[in-house]
Amino acid sequence: MVRALGWLAAASLAAGLVMAFGVAPREVTQGNVQRIMYVHVPLILASYLAFVVLAVASLVYLVRRDEGADRVAHASGEVGVMFVGLGIATGSIWGKPTWGTWWTWDARLTSVAILFVMYLGYLLLRGTIEDRERAARYCAVVGIVAALDIPLVHFSVYWWRTLHQPPSLMKPGGFTGSTSILWPLLINLLAFVLLYAYFVARRVSLLRAEAEAAA
Amino acid sequence: MPDNWGFVAAAYGLTAAVLLIYWRRLAKKERELDALKRPSP
Repeated sequence: MVRALGWLAAASLAAGLVMAFGVAPREVTQGNVQRIMYVHVPLILASYLAFVVLAVASLVYLVRRDEGADRVAHASGEVGVMFVGLGIATGSIWGKPTWGTWWTWDARLTSVAILFVMYLGYLLLRGTIEDRERAARYCAVVGIVAALDIPLVHFSVYWWRTLHQPPSLMKPGGFTGSTSILWPLLINLLAFVLLYAYFVARRVSLLRAEAEAAA
Repeated sequence: MPDNWGFVAAAYGLTAAVLLIYWRRLAKKERELDALKRPSP
């Protein structure tokens, strides 16, 4: 099952690359550098998903003390941090030729940097508390509180004047651009969601095996 | 606007490298756990 998910993710990523470089047109104002969006946007949206799953699994853990839910939260946090870190890095690489700067402290970039640091802290907290039950309980609370930053990140472009443009996909009224840009974005989003699910599934089974080996 | 292919390559290359490193790290941990489970001769 996990192996099949991995192959499906790999095939979707390959299809995403073909869409990003073979199907999507050269953007009129930005040129080919806009193709970075086909990896940047899916990475950020998949990281939102990771942190929502983390928050829900944390809530389930607090209510039921289910170790499986804690393992899902842990795995989702790890993959989410990697995805949001890559999202920030690819956004920065796109920003240099487009905005003329690698980084600026505008509301979107600042709130997403806070998101990254909070979940990095979440993973560090897991590593510093030796008692497994206590680590799971503390991290569940942090995971739920940190998720409050997700709407702040998403809506920051509406609530404050920012250099960052409004969302492309998740916005009122839906996507307004060309379908030749929409489909590559959607295929790549599907690919990164599948990759997220694959990594989480593998990490969860590893965490289970580690717990069994330690017992 | 110039195409800046170098920036495109950097973004995709960095993403591919990090994802590959994470994938290999998972595979390495799995191998280590398998070796632990296997009874020593």
